[in-house]
Amino acid sequence: MTIRTVFRNEMRLLAADRVLLSSLVLFVALFAYAIANGFAWVAKQEGTVAAVQAAEEERGAALAAELERIAAGGDPGSPFRDPRAANVLGGNLGARTVVLGPGPLASLSVGQSDLLPYYYDVSIYTNEQTFLQNGEVENPLNLMVGRFDLAFIIIYLLPLLVLALSYNVLSGEREQGTLALTLSQPVAVRDVVVAKLLFRALLVVGLALGGSLVGAAVWGGLGAPVRLALWCGAVVTYGLFWFGTAAWVNTLGRESSWNATVLVGAWLGLVVVLPAVGNIAAGILHPLPSRVEMINTAREASNESVNRRSELLARYLEDHPEMAGGVVDDVAGTAALSWAATEEVNRQVEGVAVRFDEQLSKQQALVSRYRLVSPALLAQSVLNDAAGSGDARFAHFEAQVRTFAEEWRGYFVPAILAGQVMTAEAAMGRPEFVYSEEELSVVLGRSAMPLAMLLTLALLAVVPAAIRLGRVRGGG
Amino acid sequence: MQSQTVSDPEVTSQAPTVRPILEARSLSKSYGETHALSELDLSVAPGDIYCLLGPNGAGKTTTINLFLGFIAPTSGQALVADLDVAEHDRETKAYLAYIPEQVMLYRNLTGLENLEYFAALAGKKLEVDQLRSTLVEAGLQSEAIDRRVSGYSKGMRQKVGIAIALAKEATALLLDEPTSGLDPKASNEFSALLEGLRERGVAVLMATHDLFRAKETGTRVGIMRHGRLVAEMSTSELGHSDLERIYLNHMRE
Amino acid sequence: MIIRIARKELTDQLRDGRFRASALMVGALLLVSLGAGWTQVSSARAQLEAAEATARNHWESQGDKNPHSAAHYGVYAFKPRLPLSFVDQGVDPWTGTSVWLEAHRQNDFLMRPAQDASAAQRFGTLTAAGVLQQLVPLLIILLGFGALAGERERGTLRQVLASGVSRRDLMAGKAAGVAGALALLVVPAALLGSAALVLGSTATGSLLARAVVLAVVYLTYFGAFIGLALAISAWVPSSRTALVTLLSLWVVNGLVAPRAAVDLSGWLHPSPTAFEFSRQIEEGMANGVEGIRPPDRQAITNRLLQEYGVDSVEDLPVNLSGITLQASEEFGNAVYDHNYTELWDTFERQSRVHESLAVVAPLLAVRALSMGLAGTDIEQHRHFATAAETYRRDMMAAMNGDLAQNSRTGETYLAGDELWVSVPPLDYEAPTLAWVLGNRTVSMLMLGLWLLGALSAAVAGARRAEVGP
Repeated sequence: MTIRTVFRNEMRLLAADRVLLSSLVLFVALFAYAIANGFAWVAKQEGTVAAVQAAEEERGAALAAELERIAAGGDPGSPFRDPRAANVLGGNLGARTVVLGPGPLASLSVGQSDLLPYYYDVSIYTNEQTFLQNGEVENPLNLMVGRFDLAFIIIYLLPLLVLALSYNVLSGEREQGTLALTLSQPVAVRDVVVAKLLFRALLVVGLALGGSLVGAAVWGGLGAPVRLALWCGAVVTYGLFWFGTAAWVNTLGRESSWNATVLVGAWLGLVVVLPAVGNIAAGILHPLPSRVEMINTAREASNESVNRRSELLARYLEDHPEMAGGVVDDVAGTAALSWAATEEVNRQVEGVAVRFDEQLSKQQALVSRYRLVSPALLAQSVLNDAAGSGDARFAHFEAQVRTFAEEWRGYFVPAILAGQVMTAEAAMGRPEFVYSEEELSVVLGRSAMPLAMLLTLALLAVVPAAIRLGRVRGGG
Repeated sequence: MQSQTVSDPEVTSQAPTVRPILEARSLSKSYGETHALSELDLSVAPGDIYCLLGPNGAGKTTTINLFLGFIAPTSGQALVADLDVAEHDRETKAYLAYIPEQVMLYRNLTGLENLEYFAALAGKKLEVDQLRSTLVEAGLQSEAIDRRVSGYSKGMRQKVGIAIALAKEATALLLDEPTSGLDPKASNEFSALLEGLRERGVAVLMATHDLFRAKETGTRVGIMRHGRLVAEMSTSELGHSDLERIYLNHMRE
Repeated sequence: MIIRIARKELTDQLRDGRFRASALMVGALLLVSLGAGWTQVSSARAQLEAAEATARNHWESQGDKNPHSAAHYGVYAFKPRLPLSFVDQGVDPWTGTSVWLEAHRQNDFLMRPAQDASAAQRFGTLTAAGVLQQLVPLLIILLGFGALAGERERGTLRQVLASGVSRRDLMAGKAAGVAGALALLVVPAALLGSAALVLGSTATGSLLARAVVLAVVYLTYFGAFIGLALAISAWVPSSRTALVTLLSLWVVNGLVAPRAAVDLSGWLHPSPTAFEFSRQIEEGMANGVEGIRPPDRQAITNRLLQEYGVDSVEDLPVNLSGITLQASEEFGNAVYDHNYTELWDTFERQSRVHESLAVVAPLLAVRALSMGLAGTDIEQHRHFATAAETYRRDMMAAMNGDLAQNSRTGETYLAGDELWVSVPPLDYEAPTLAWVLGNRTVSMLMLGLWLLGALSAAVAGARRAEVGP
């Protein structure tokens, strides 16, 4: 019935409206640009990952060759270059570079991937300091501004298109006088307005979803259908929020220019101002623990350990009685002593770092509550998570690296303390890092809350709009 | 070249006896192929109320716009106090006051503030007392003077428009359908105000549809059609229904 | 006359509820951002001072040690925050805050505050600069879009022009009116900011000069926007079109162009990946750069033996280790200089691309100038990084020199507190105003062009504007 009629009419009106038509074309161009951009970004990351892996293989091959040469009677040259020494093998020659590839839908959202480190060198010297490294080499100015990716268009610009298309969906009809004509027909205003909005929603959200699918497809994102569905869910819900808001404002019965002002104000407030205010409020009410202080505290802790170096071995052996018998000759004794000191320093620094991290995660938990003030923040967190470029995936990676470093130490430290010579088999069999991607259930679970909140906000706009629409009678 | 064809033998044009303030000489304005105004010759002297009659699109508003310098003539001249408007845009405006069909004022300002502003724009610095008395003279109720214009009726805004003309001490008044949409009482008040101005020697050029009021208020009448002045006459020579008959005659061709 | 028109415009605007509400909002945000910025900068400065003292204390009280051990121990340097950074934090959250100055290596600045914050921070933080660059122009648009288009639609333009006022005066009066309405908002904030600056910090002449230029920069920006709003209001047919056009320009100015500049700058001047960069340094360390080869220990030994006319290194009056360490330090410096200069230059070329795009978005010019004057742009980060690196090199030279001069090859040598204390603390002096502005010629030019262009467009628009029906 009406839906088809309204759609056909809307299509005709749209085709006649050059401004709207050209803004749609503009958006298609913007989508294409963002997709190309996302593609370039992932290509760069993939290139780095490949280069890192190639270097890793090269190093493995060199190690194997050196071991072979020594086995054939060759001289390692210096004790610091002898791969048979556990501290050399585990510390330098055999060290692994572990790397996190771009997320499954990385071409859609750059997210935090230009900021957070995605590869580390793991050796027995891996400690808290290792995790204090920068991510990609990137101009701070570019980091500050952010990239032109699909997520940016969806979060910032799409609402503007929604508002441009629907700020006068009802008020315009009234101002033109067509509302009275419509009302004189045997149809409900609600049906007509809903059909008009539905038409626009199909257009805008369809454009966004189409763009997302194309963007994902160019970098194998179709292989992650669940994440893609999560992404699309966020896009649809976010779109629903803005359409609902526009519909609600239309039902207030004011003129089109008032609607436009209010809606642009809402966009400005929710997308630009509130997140910025939330960030400053978070910074002041829940300040980040001071990294600067952490550095100095860690330094003091390690100074103290170095000063007590001699006591340390004894204490270490107390802690690890199984090692006592192994510490035999002089060289091994030096290595063991040095290791004990390193371990103690690490432990002290770790203490400081753990306290810092606890404070930090508490702060972040508090700050994450500020997301509730803005649908843009909620949408961003779901989109990033779906794309695999959010904070959580990097934290997940870092946790795995920590576990791996633990495993690495477990493999080499007993040998260091025991002064054991590493065999070629042991060298080639050193632990290998395999990244296991976050479980989808974890990703979905984490996104459930923000997505539900977003949906709630959308419904808070849609439901009153629907109720008020049902009451529209006269031509006001 | 056809000029000022006075085809109606019953009517003779009365030439002004004093130097005109508003004068059009072969004034023409065309937009591409469309001739909004062709070869208009017209003059309005102090004490004249010249009413331009004609259907929509006859060229009445174009004539007024040309005197105001809002548009430039394609050929010919519009003179105000012997000055060519096209060359002396700002000087000529010192003589003119303009009251459009809808006198538009700043809604957020009061009547007094509007008058003060427009008088200031015209270079007249007046005391508040003078401004008030001007508004009262123009017929605005004194209690409305300090209210914001957004609550004014059309007639009230028109009175502020008259006050602006009074404050400016304009010697020529350009009116564009000033009485359309006014109720009969307001129209009468307006006519009385015009009469007052006329007696002070102001020249009035008024575009209107209102034949009755043109006959009652005007001293002379011009009928326009398709951008041409097709008839011109003095109201004193007209009988009760003469004007309507002549007007309709001209429209029929 | 202009003043008379401006006064009327001001009265008119002040009675408009929409303007009052939005001006109050922007004013409140401006005050909050100034206050918040001030609080943060003050506490960060206090933290830094304390940390510097502690770090210096660590260095001075490290006890008896071989100078090279001390060099490995090193010191931490902390990036200072200029007092004006409370207006504009610029790239500060995105650069590291501290750097470890140690032997052999030029380290990166670590601990970017942004890295500890969540992705929400990508939306930006409320700063005075953000309010001035983004929200005030919006207010100007609100004030100016109807200036001519609206009067034309309402019919008051005919009335006004019939009065004989000159169009140029009318435009100038309108501009002055908008400026006046804006001044009610900006002037108190500026006064408050200056008061905070004068009372709350050791206000040097150079700092005040920066503050004054900063004010001029923003005024120019606002002037350009006023001109733009009036010009468009004069040129386009309706106030609705004027508003839509201006809002679109605002979106391009504040959202689209800055991000497009990121992509464009990276495309024109690609920076290496972190992996490539460290590879290049390793490669340089192994094989040398620009014809400089890694130091040859044997050659140095031979030269010294010859110079001092002795046969064995033990007989040398200097410590060979000190000399070779310094040689390798200097070689390393060359490698780092080569790579870091290239990297920093790339970054600066990228910022130049951002600045050049100010052709379409004046925000890019004003942002660059604002960060520059607040001391939070990349160039000044580099300035500090270079100072810290120079300090590191001097420190390493002092350590190696002490080792070389005061000990013999092979002997166990410990230096004490005197040596540590003899190395002065890092005394960083922020660059001069002229230096800052020298980096920003493109932006100054762009901003000037915008002001001129917008104002002439407004004047031309006033001259040619249709009077309306």
